[in-house]
Amino acid sequence: MFRQTLPRTLVLLVTLAGLALYAILGGFFARELVVSIAILAILAVSLDVVAGFGGMVSLAHGAMMGLAAYTYAILSVKLGWPLLPSAILGVGASAVFGTLIGWITGRTTGIFFIMATLAFGQMAYTVFFKWRWLGGDDGMGGIKRFDLGWAGIDLDDSLIFALFALALLAMVYAAAAWVLRSAFGRTLSGIHSNEDRMRALGVNTVLHRARALGFSALLAGVAGILAAQHVLYISPELLVWTVSGEVLIVVILGGLGTLIGPLVGAVIFVLLKDAISDYTDHWHIVIGLLLIATVLAGGRGIYGQIEHWLSRRISSPPEPEEAGDA
Amino acid sequence: MLEVRNLCKSFGGLQVTRDISFALEPGERRVILGPNGAGKTTLFNLLVGTLTPSSGDILLDGRSVRGLSVAARARAGLSRSYQKNNLFEALSIRENLLLAAAAGHGKADTILRDSFRDGAVRETVAQVAEQVALTSMLDLPVRSASYGARRQLEVGLALATRPQILLMDEPTSGVGPTMIEGFHRLLHSLPRELTVLIIEHDMDLAFDVADRITVLNFGEVVFEGTPEETHGNKVVRDIYLGDWQADA
Amino acid sequence: MDSGFWILQFLNAVQFSMLLFLLSIGLTVIFGLLHFVNLAHGALYMLGAYIGISVAAASSSFWVALIVAPLIVALIGAALYITLIDRLRDAGPMNQVLVTFGLIFVFLDLVRIGWGDVALGLSAPEALSGTSRILGVQYPSYRLFVIILGLAVMAGLWITLSRTRIGAMIRASVENGDMAAALGINVGRLFFIVFCVGCVLAGLAGVVAAPVASATTGMGISILIPTLIVVVIGGLGSLQGAIAGSLIVGFIETFGAVLVPGFAAIVTYVLLAAVLVARPQGLLPARGGEQ
Repeated sequence: MFRQTLPRTLVLLVTLAGLALYAILGGFFARELVVSIAILAILAVSLDVVAGFGGMVSLAHGAMMGLAAYTYAILSVKLGWPLLPSAILGVGASAVFGTLIGWITGRTTGIFFIMATLAFGQMAYTVFFKWRWLGGDDGMGGIKRFDLGWAGIDLDDSLIFALFALALLAMVYAAAAWVLRSAFGRTLSGIHSNEDRMRALGVNTVLHRARALGFSALLAGVAGILAAQHVLYISPELLVWTVSGEVLIVVILGGLGTLIGPLVGAVIFVLLKDAISDYTDHWHIVIGLLLIATVLAGGRGIYGQIEHWLSRRISSPPEPEEAGDA
Repeated sequence: MLEVRNLCKSFGGLQVTRDISFALEPGERRVILGPNGAGKTTLFNLLVGTLTPSSGDILLDGRSVRGLSVAARARAGLSRSYQKNNLFEALSIRENLLLAAAAGHGKADTILRDSFRDGAVRETVAQVAEQVALTSMLDLPVRSASYGARRQLEVGLALATRPQILLMDEPTSGVGPTMIEGFHRLLHSLPRELTVLIIEHDMDLAFDVADRITVLNFGEVVFEGTPEETHGNKVVRDIYLGDWQADA
Repeated sequence: MDSGFWILQFLNAVQFSMLLFLLSIGLTVIFGLLHFVNLAHGALYMLGAYIGISVAAASSSFWVALIVAPLIVALIGAALYITLIDRLRDAGPMNQVLVTFGLIFVFLDLVRIGWGDVALGLSAPEALSGTSRILGVQYPSYRLFVIILGLAVMAGLWITLSRTRIGAMIRASVENGDMAAALGINVGRLFFIVFCVGCVLAGLAGVVAAPVASATTGMGISILIPTLIVVVIGGLGSLQGAIAGSLIVGFIETFGAVLVPGFAAIVTYVLLAAVLVARPQGLLPARGGEQ
């Protein structure tokens, strides 16, 4: 069961404030990093909703992001539609994709689910890679950021855009926390704990999981719009499986089933990648080993492990919220 | 309330359920008795929906439920308890009951409200906890609970959906003699609006609780009657030769 | 399109199916026994190709590479099993999946470090570099060799699984691991043997594929996904399932590319979706699902 505890709220506020400060005081490059962190954090939070609380470990979240980005680009650039509706439809396309995958895989268990999401994510990648009208593997440019001039906000300014990205991250986290604390989220945790019993209690678990994946995909879609507007250019590289793989690694590294852990994990991940890229090109070995090390160390991730230690030191009645148990 | 018509089930060439028919009145307590291998479990699974019949029909309140999934039957008012505890292990007893109660109230889907804070849901949980004597243990994680408490929770989950009919699969399985008394009391205390069907091979429970008994052997009904009639029937005695107590 | 064209496509489909079979049989039996999906299987295939290329260069012989490279891959697999995978047996299948997923990333960069980013090729051996006449067409001899090799492995595995004691032990352990252990079968050692054989087959598939498709760092994932689809469609844990699945996917991919070039990319995925919805346990699973 999800609980937005006080420590978690504090960590959230401190992290967001810290990132905002970094964007304000740092230069252009700091703001670039903050946007990258926000995009990855949104993806990680969206994945934790289904993986940590629903037991659905997906390798398609990169593809969901890419699908939203491409839909936004097709509608706003190729067809000239207004920006906000295009973005909403982009997020909607991702949600539909997620719901479909959730429904198709509804009757299969965890390992099949991972394999299926890997396959369908790759399918999406292949489609965009081969579609010449969308630029194929050259990608598509000419993407625009939202026009908030009427509110006196210029998103083309790098600082404003970085703060905008953080605002989206905060909203995504809030939405995820809200849904997880709602009846829907409770039922999802119940399905994760014992799907068979939930069915016997009258819950249509296939439909519920499909909806959950749809909601998760919707949040991932927000990351897609942000990514498209960030570099004003998209390519099929957004949908490569390694992107989805990195999101999963961030979630595990941060702390599956804590919601805030993946967010913190994204911060560490991006900063680490930036630091290491000065020394080597071989980032994949690093994250592969990090994932293996995390699993061997018990699988709780950084934030999950901290919470575990804290709850044992306080030694009050055990917290009944072991949501992320495999 | 519940009617079974000419129910048959075969697995390949093996016919496990042969032309079973019976009907339950609303509020009735029916026990299905039979030796091991008689087909009780298969019948139970057919009623619950985890198996589909080869032929025949099952009617709940006059409506056929034969084509309905397990979840759909549960929503139609049919609840079941498991022979082997099937609980939400990762959660507390309270959370277990809240999940069941929320589902029963049809409040398991919404993103607008927290079902765990819903007044009606919490009310149901309090009532059921009272019924299954778990009120003092609500915040205990299921993992830490005793076997007896878990067994009571098992029944509690089935009751928390406020069903019309409760199907119980060998409810006293693995329960020691001190707890069995509690079970007898629990079954007697169930509201009369609730129809109860119990699969058992414990004769004491059957005779104590049942309004009528249906006896199965080799997949078919060999006898049906009141506890007294069952006690006196020669066919039934033959089946259970040696298991009977002289003063039952 | 004359009949010769279709016969060529047919042969190509069979050849691709053989490659998929070599990979999927290892994956599916490993799942059937150990209950986890070794996502690094594709990476082992990739290693087989690259190591094969190096061995062939060092020994100037394709045939030496064909024998040595799979064995080296098996050694790597054995090392992984002993250090990582066996340790996680009690931690649950999800953790094993995550670790093997991490390994994909590790191997990706290791290969880049060892062999660089450029695609590498391997020449077919002299004896197989021409064409042969089969079914009325001239078909590349090397591809014919792949088909024959695949069929030979298929036959060998079939005989092993159905006629030998170890085959019986494997089938028993797939169906009911606890019972098999209770009967005295050393299930742990059996797992290890099967795992290593799976690695040998993955490595073999890599070496065999190199002359046809050349070695790239992306080849692991690009073959892993069709392999996973084969395993899902065919059903987990059974030889028949792997054969059926490989043929189905092999033929659909090959003929799909010819008949519906625009949609060829998604045809296999549509099939995957259909199977997941209609028959999630696959066509011929080892443990036949009830209902």
